[in-house]
Amino acid sequence: MGFIRRQWSPEEADEWTREDVLAWILSPLSYALLSVGSALSIFLIPAGFVMLLLGAVVTFLLFYIIDPKLKVISSEYEKKQKEYLERLERITRWEEE
Amino acid sequence: MVEFAPLDWFWLVLFILLMTFSGVFFYRLGKRSQADFFLAGRGLPWWLPASSVYATHTATDTPIWIGGVIYKYGLAGLWYAFFSAWCAISAFASTRIFRRSLAYTQAEWQSLRFSGLGAELLRGWFAGWQVFMNMFILGWVGIAMGKVCHFLFGWPLWVGLVFFSSLVAVYVLSAGYWGVVVADFQQGIIAFFMIILTSIWAVMAAGGPQNITAKIASMGQSWRLNPFHFTGTFSGDFPLAWFLTMVVIAVLGGFGMGTSIDWYVEAQRIQSARTVRDASYSIWWGTALVLIRNSFWAAAIIAFFSLFPHLKNPQEYEMAWYVIGFKTLPVGLVGFFFASILAIHFSTISTHLNLGAMYFTRDIFQHYIKPDASERTLVWVGRITTLILLLGSFFYGLMMEELTSWLIFALWIMAAGIWLPNILQVVWWRFNSWGYLAAWIANLGLSWLVVWVLPEFKVIPSLPDYLQFWILMVLGALIYIPVTLLTPPEDMDHLVKFYVMSRPYGWWGPVKKEAIARGLIKEV
Repeated sequence: MGFIRRQWSPEEADEWTREDVLAWILSPLSYALLSVGSALSIFLIPAGFVMLLLGAVVTFLLFYIIDPKLKVISSEYEKKQKEYLERLERITRWEEE
Repeated sequence: MVEFAPLDWFWLVLFILLMTFSGVFFYRLGKRSQADFFLAGRGLPWWLPASSVYATHTATDTPIWIGGVIYKYGLAGLWYAFFSAWCAISAFASTRIFRRSLAYTQAEWQSLRFSGLGAELLRGWFAGWQVFMNMFILGWVGIAMGKVCHFLFGWPLWVGLVFFSSLVAVYVLSAGYWGVVVADFQQGIIAFFMIILTSIWAVMAAGGPQNITAKIASMGQSWRLNPFHFTGTFSGDFPLAWFLTMVVIAVLGGFGMGTSIDWYVEAQRIQSARTVRDASYSIWWGTALVLIRNSFWAAAIIAFFSLFPHLKNPQEYEMAWYVIGFKTLPVGLVGFFFASILAIHFSTISTHLNLGAMYFTRDIFQHYIKPDASERTLVWVGRITTLILLLGSFFYGLMMEELTSWLIFALWIMAAGIWLPNILQVVWWRFNSWGYLAAWIANLGLSWLVVWVLPEFKVIPSLPDYLQFWILMVLGALIYIPVTLLTPPEDMDHLVKFYVMSRPYGWWGPVKKEAIARGLIKEV
């Protein structure tokens, strides 16, 4: 297993792990680079193109890291969703505390 | 005043018909159930709510305030619009927790996270506050459209407000959130395309990128192209301390729920996504588009500055993007440009009509008035509330405009004192409903003291807003932390159910241990 994990069991994916922390770091960085990089690139300022390119790389990395985990969480959660929805309705209708 | 050629009218009428009838077209889907009328049946692929996030957060007043900060501070002004970056963390943190809760609204989430009387008080407060807030935003954005139409065509203020908001109501009343999200998709495309086109047009009209940078340099204003140009560490009206505070508020705020006023809109999009993954991606990509859009607007405003560098009156330079569009675009595109303004207006109005109606229908009518209401009844209550919100927004927009600055103040202050409790409710199992209620109440009193009363009586000096934020955060914590610790924790059964369903991060050790002991989750 490498530094970035791409195979998950449902139980493991439900935990908050290093991959989530990496996503939390990369995601705002990506936003800042894409935002500032776009503005500077419109004025043909070289630093803008560098930032835009870095932003694209960081964005790719972000989704490369987090996507396998999100897929497993989603498919596992879908199996329980019906039961949770029924409970939600019971709470709203005062049938459960 | 702007003159439209026949081609301009053609585009305008075509887009109004397209935007309105594409929403109405989904009438049959919208009326099926409450979940359809407010969440499109919880089955949307990520790109539809993403386009809705983008379209909703592009309103008629957005280019006005972005124009103001960019003209004043250059590209560093982009950071004023960076508050929306709370979605950077939220997309992979609180969005996941909220989507797993399946709560229709943030008010409903309170009754899943907390229990007993405290939870009901919070649910009722959130619901009432959000119904009012959505009407307030509708009036505020609606009257902005009235002003734009007055500026462009000389119409009385009420015409732009009443006519266009009523057009939007046609498809929101018919198809609910289905109409909102489908119309948002095409409105988002129209608006994004026109923002890019108009901005590039503006840059070229000002002589092209190289001429603009050379001209700005010759004026000794090159700092305007530096996104990290601040007025000092603590000095001036745009210091580094403000920037760092903004980064903390925006980025760390993503770990909580409600740390930004936009959360309540995003929460609806999160629940309308078909999976947890779709919810995360919708928030992330919708906000990415918002930030990139800001960059194009910023470029247009810098181009405008190179042409008109000596404007002192904010009312002149804040309208820069509109001026560029209507003064420089050729015949035909002017009509297209106005259609894109309508698109950004429609998307914001439609969202708040449906969102306000959802809080009333789900959290007030169904939960407190008629718990056994049928799906058909709930859809009709949603429609009637939509209509009431529309009429209320006319009243607010036309009659109560002078209150706007007070309410904007109230919003900022609410954001300051409630920011940390909004995170604590997600990350700390021991934080209870009484602590959270205490935080809301304490903040109302403290904010008036710190921002107005004490400076007025010279007890403390008038403080910059970033300093007010930190002071209010600390003062509030001195009240709600003791209240939390002196009152009992939430019921463990309730907490375990919440934990197993939502799997929050942070300090949930005792609850997780209990969930494992009960065999509800496995220890990894």
